[in-house]
Amino acid sequence: MINFDEEIKKFSPSLEIGEVEDAVYHLDLTDATDMLLDLLKEQEAAGESAKTDTF
Amino acid sequence: MYCYHCGALLSEYDYCTNCGADVGTYKKIIALSNRLYNDGLEKARVRDLTGAGGSLRQCLKLNKDHIEARNLLGLVYFEMGETAAALSEWVVSQSRRGEKNIAIEYINLFQNNAGRVDVINQSIRKYNQAYNYCLQDSVDLAEIQLKKLLSMNPKLLRAHLLLALIYIKDEKWERAERELHKVLEVDHNNTTALRYLKDVERVLEPEEGEKKPRHKGKDEVIRYQAGNELIIQPTNMLEQKTSSGFSTVINILIGLILGVAATYFLILPAKVSSVTEEYQAKVVELGENLDTKTSTIQELETQVNNLKTQNAGLEDIIDEYSGQGGILSNIDLLLTAANSYLNGATADETADALTKASSAVELEAMSEPFRTLYQTLMSKVGPELSTNFYTEGYTAYRNEDYESAVRLLTQAFEYDATNVDALFNLGNAYRKLGDNDNAKEVYNRVISLFPNDERATRSKQFLDEMAAED
Repeated sequence: MINFDEEIKKFSPSLEIGEVEDAVYHLDLTDATDMLLDLLKEQEAAGESAKTDTF
Repeated sequence: MYCYHCGALLSEYDYCTNCGADVGTYKKIIALSNRLYNDGLEKARVRDLTGAGGSLRQCLKLNKDHIEARNLLGLVYFEMGETAAALSEWVVSQSRRGEKNIAIEYINLFQNNAGRVDVINQSIRKYNQAYNYCLQDSVDLAEIQLKKLLSMNPKLLRAHLLLALIYIKDEKWERAERELHKVLEVDHNNTTALRYLKDVERVLEPEEGEKKPRHKGKDEVIRYQAGNELIIQPTNMLEQKTSSGFSTVINILIGLILGVAATYFLILPAKVSSVTEEYQAKVVELGENLDTKTSTIQELETQVNNLKTQNAGLEDIIDEYSGQGGILSNIDLLLTAANSYLNGATADETADALTKASSAVELEAMSEPFRTLYQTLMSKVGPELSTNFYTEGYTAYRNEDYESAVRLLTQAFEYDATNVDALFNLGNAYRKLGDNDNAKEVYNRVISLFPNDERATRSKQFLDEMAAED
C-alpha cells in the first residue's frame, strides 16, 4: 500500500521560469565523449612520461 | 561524423584518415547515442513520455551535442508541464548551435507570449506552495491549491500526481483514479501514475470475498485494457431500475412541484425584473425625448418671436417708403411736379406740387437725386414765382396792406434769393408796420447780401433814420 509520507519525499519543488538561467549556468554538460577524450589525454601523457623515463 | 581531434570528416575506418587518431570508441559512443535518440523518438511518438525522457537523457549523457535529442527532450518536458526544464534544454541547445535550430523558435514563442508565461509561473508557484503544505501535513490546503493550479495549467503532470496522492491519503479512491488517468492520457507509461493506479485499482476492485470499500450507491464499472488505454464502462447504465407505479407517480408529482416552485421563485422574479427594467429604460428614453422636443419647441418659439419683431420692423420701413406721406409718395409728388413743368404747367402749379413734395419731408434727409431734381425744378420756376409774389406784395405795400405785403414779399425772396427788391421792400413793409426789429434785420441782410446795390445805400440811410428816431 502506498505510504503518503514516503511518497511525498519523492516529489520535489518545481523550477520557476525565472530560475532557468541560473539552472543552465550550473548544468553539468560533461558527456561520455568528454570522458573518452580525457582518458586519451591521460594515456598520451602516461606514454610520453614513460618514454622520458626510458631515455 | 567528425574527428574529435582534428575535426575532419571520418570514414568507415576506426582511425582518422587525416590525423590518425583512434576514433573506434568515439564512433561507438556516437552510434549508441543515436540509437538512444531513436528509441526516445519512438517512445515519444506513442506518448511514452517518461520512457522517451529517460532514453533522451541517456543519449545526451553520451553526446551532449546531439541537438535533436536535446530539442526533443525539451518538447517531452513541455508536454509534461515541466516548462522550466523544457526551456533549460532549449537554451542549452541554442548555446550549442546558434543557428538553424528549432529551439530558437521555441524560445521566441515563449518570449512573445508574456501572458502565457505568467500563467505558467503562477501555476508553478502554486504547486510549490501545495508541496510545502503537504510537507506540513496541511493536505486540505494543498488540495485547494492544486485544484486551482490545474484549472490554470492542466498539463502539469506532477500536480495531478500530487493531487492523486492526497486523494489516496484521504481514501478518495475514485478521484485519485480520475487524476491518475489524466496523467496516463498524456504520458501513457508514467511509472508513478501506474504504480499509484495499481494500488487504487486494488482497492476499487478487491479480490472476491473482500468487502468493497467503495461508497454505497456508486456506479459499478467494468474495466479492461485496450492497448495503452484503460477503458472504464459503467455496468448499471443498461439496468432498468425497478420501481413501483406508485413511486413513479410520486416522483413525477414531486418533479412537477419542484418545477413550478423553481419557475415561481427563480424564473418569474427574474422575468418580472427584466420586464420592469425594460419599461423603466423605455420611460427614461421617452423622458429624454420629451425634454429634447420641449427644448426644440422653446427654441422655435423664440425664433418665431424674433421673426415677428423683424417683420414688424420691416413693415414699418415699408410704410415709411410706400405709405401715406412716405418717401415713395413724396418721390411721386416730386415726379408729378417735374412732369407738370415739362408739360408746360404754370409756375404756380409746379410750385404747388413742389411745395407738397417738400412739405412732407426734410430735404436734407432725402437722397441726393431727390434733392438735385427738387433744386433744378425750383431754379426753373423760382424766379417766375418770385416775380409773381413780388408783384402782388408790392401792390399790397402800395395799398398800405403791409401785413399781406410782408407775407408775399417773404415768399418772393424765398423763391429767388437774388430778388433784392423783394428783400428791400420787405424791410420797408416791416418799418411801415412799426416792426423796427425785423426791419433792421432785413436792412442789414440787404447791406450784407448786396453791398454794392443802391438798395444797400438806402437801407443804410433808413437804419440811420431809425437809429435817430430811437
